[in-house]
Amino acid sequence: MLKHLFKLIWNKKKQNSLLIVEILLSFMVMFAVFAFAVNSYQNYVKPIGIKYEHVWVINYNNTLKTQNSDSLTMFYEGLLRNIKAMPQVVDAGFSSTNVPFSSAHMSGGITVNGKRITYVNQFNVDDNYLNTLGATMLEGRWYNKQDGISKEKVTVINNTLKEKAFGKGSAVGKYFNDYDNKFKIKVIGVVNDIKFDGDYQTVGLSQYNRFDTSAYHWLQRILVKVQPNADAAFESRLYKFMANQMKNSNIEIEHLPNKLVAYNKFTLVPLIILSIVAAFLIINVALGIFGVLWYNINKRRGEIGLRRAIGASGSSVSSQLVSEALILATFSLIIGTFFAVQFPLLNVFDLSAGVYLTAIGFALIFIYFIVLVCSLYPGKQAAAIYPAVALHEE
Amino acid sequence: MISLQNIEKVYRTTNIETLALNNISLDIAKGEFLSVMGPSGCGKSTLLNIMGLLDAPSRGQIKISDQTTDNLNDKQLAKFRNQKLGFIFQSYHLINDLQVLDNVELPLLYRDTTAKERRQLAAEALEKVGLSNRMKHFPTQLSGGQRQRVAIARAIVGRPEIILADEPTGNLDSAMGNEIMEILLQLNQNDGTTIVMVTHDEHMAQKTHRLVRLFDGSQVL
Repeated sequence: MLKHLFKLIWNKKKQNSLLIVEILLSFMVMFAVFAFAVNSYQNYVKPIGIKYEHVWVINYNNTLKTQNSDSLTMFYEGLLRNIKAMPQVVDAGFSSTNVPFSSAHMSGGITVNGKRITYVNQFNVDDNYLNTLGATMLEGRWYNKQDGISKEKVTVINNTLKEKAFGKGSAVGKYFNDYDNKFKIKVIGVVNDIKFDGDYQTVGLSQYNRFDTSAYHWLQRILVKVQPNADAAFESRLYKFMANQMKNSNIEIEHLPNKLVAYNKFTLVPLIILSIVAAFLIINVALGIFGVLWYNINKRRGEIGLRRAIGASGSSVSSQLVSEALILATFSLIIGTFFAVQFPLLNVFDLSAGVYLTAIGFALIFIYFIVLVCSLYPGKQAAAIYPAVALHEE
Repeated sequence: MISLQNIEKVYRTTNIETLALNNISLDIAKGEFLSVMGPSGCGKSTLLNIMGLLDAPSRGQIKISDQTTDNLNDKQLAKFRNQKLGFIFQSYHLINDLQVLDNVELPLLYRDTTAKERRQLAAEALEKVGLSNRMKHFPTQLSGGQRQRVAIARAIVGRPEIILADEPTGNLDSAMGNEIMEILLQLNQNDGTTIVMVTHDEHMAQKTHRLVRLFDGSQVL
């Protein structure tokens, strides 16, 4: 019977081509939605990598008139000492503007054994950064004062960059070059992956560089880890302190938990939009399948009557129509799967093959489910056709 | 072979009640070739549908091959039709998207037969109606007479005991009509198939063993 149905559909491929294309497009859209969703979910279940609950970010701009680096260094080191001396402060440190859950990004590249690795997030940090954010060293160490006077250029990288550059083995003590391949950089530590772009985004490649004193000219963020009991009154005091210390500077204090919530909302917008588009398309396809099957039944009443006369029961007529719809969907899904598997094969968007394969699986199940649901009722209607009447209509 | 007792068929709508068959009793012997005649709307096709278990009578009893059919459910009726009955229609009812051989195979799809067996039986049936050379054609590539011969091959492929033909020559010219009639007569004589044929053609009806005439739902001869 299956061969018979294949033959019947194949011989009617011209009539069915529109529906095949419609199901194919729906599959591709659902594949995109599921790939996005699976990737977001896989990112979501991974640990965020920092203890952000009681971390505040002070935004400021450098309004000091002096261009003397020593004076600047003295001022900012003093400022940080005073902040750290506050009883509600656990730790604090300077950072470049790309603090966690902000839309600021700085990226560069490195060269490992002559091979360039691009899109490496660059973070300019100080010795307190690791402790302030509560990140964990996986191997080696974080920066200390000795690194400021060392002749050798050293760096700390995240685990993802370590695996990309050096594989599964240890990276501490190994070297890579800058992007232009001009100088060597020694890896002194590997820190755990931190989801800087919120819960749903993929962890990128990260390199943490200890800034030198000249960076005080342009650094604009202080990360402050506070005690759990730090309240609005303390926040107000901290604000006033900063405002007094840095006249004419725009001071703003943000809380990392709030920034995370805002950032997550921002990153979910494309998924929501894609889902809405997909939902409309699916409704369209569902109505299309429903309509085509309904039309087919009315057009094929004579054939249905004949099949009933020569030995088909009502249920076998019904299951034939449902099977036809599923076979039609199979034609589309074979073509769709062919295109979908190109994504992991060609490593499009740098997502893991598992994400794509899971998305293909979900999209297949979803489309089959839609087709099944939409064909059940027309199939039932076909089973109710009265053969004696149907055979006399033509 | 077929026994109809006091068959009555009433079609009811909200306002009108139409008596299509009125107290028809008929016994058709095994191997008999019976023709049913009558003016349009007299109930010929309704009678054939009831004999073919495509329609249920409002009253009365049908026995086919000594089996009463009143209590059969949808699946049992379908199986019964598949194994005991073959149908030929005026408008052929071939599936235009399937080749001739696939059309002929259709009744066997609802039986436990292998694809090879189906091919073989369908080829034999087509040979019997003289269409071996048209197996790979589509129905739209055939003449009316050839289409009806395909329909006959489809009716006989399952080797049924009874063939029910509803105006099988109605859409054909006299030469083709005679050809089809010749095939039906041969099936009756050579294979002993019981045939009930509804026709408007007196000339064709004369060739059969017995003629039953209906008028306004009642048997008049």
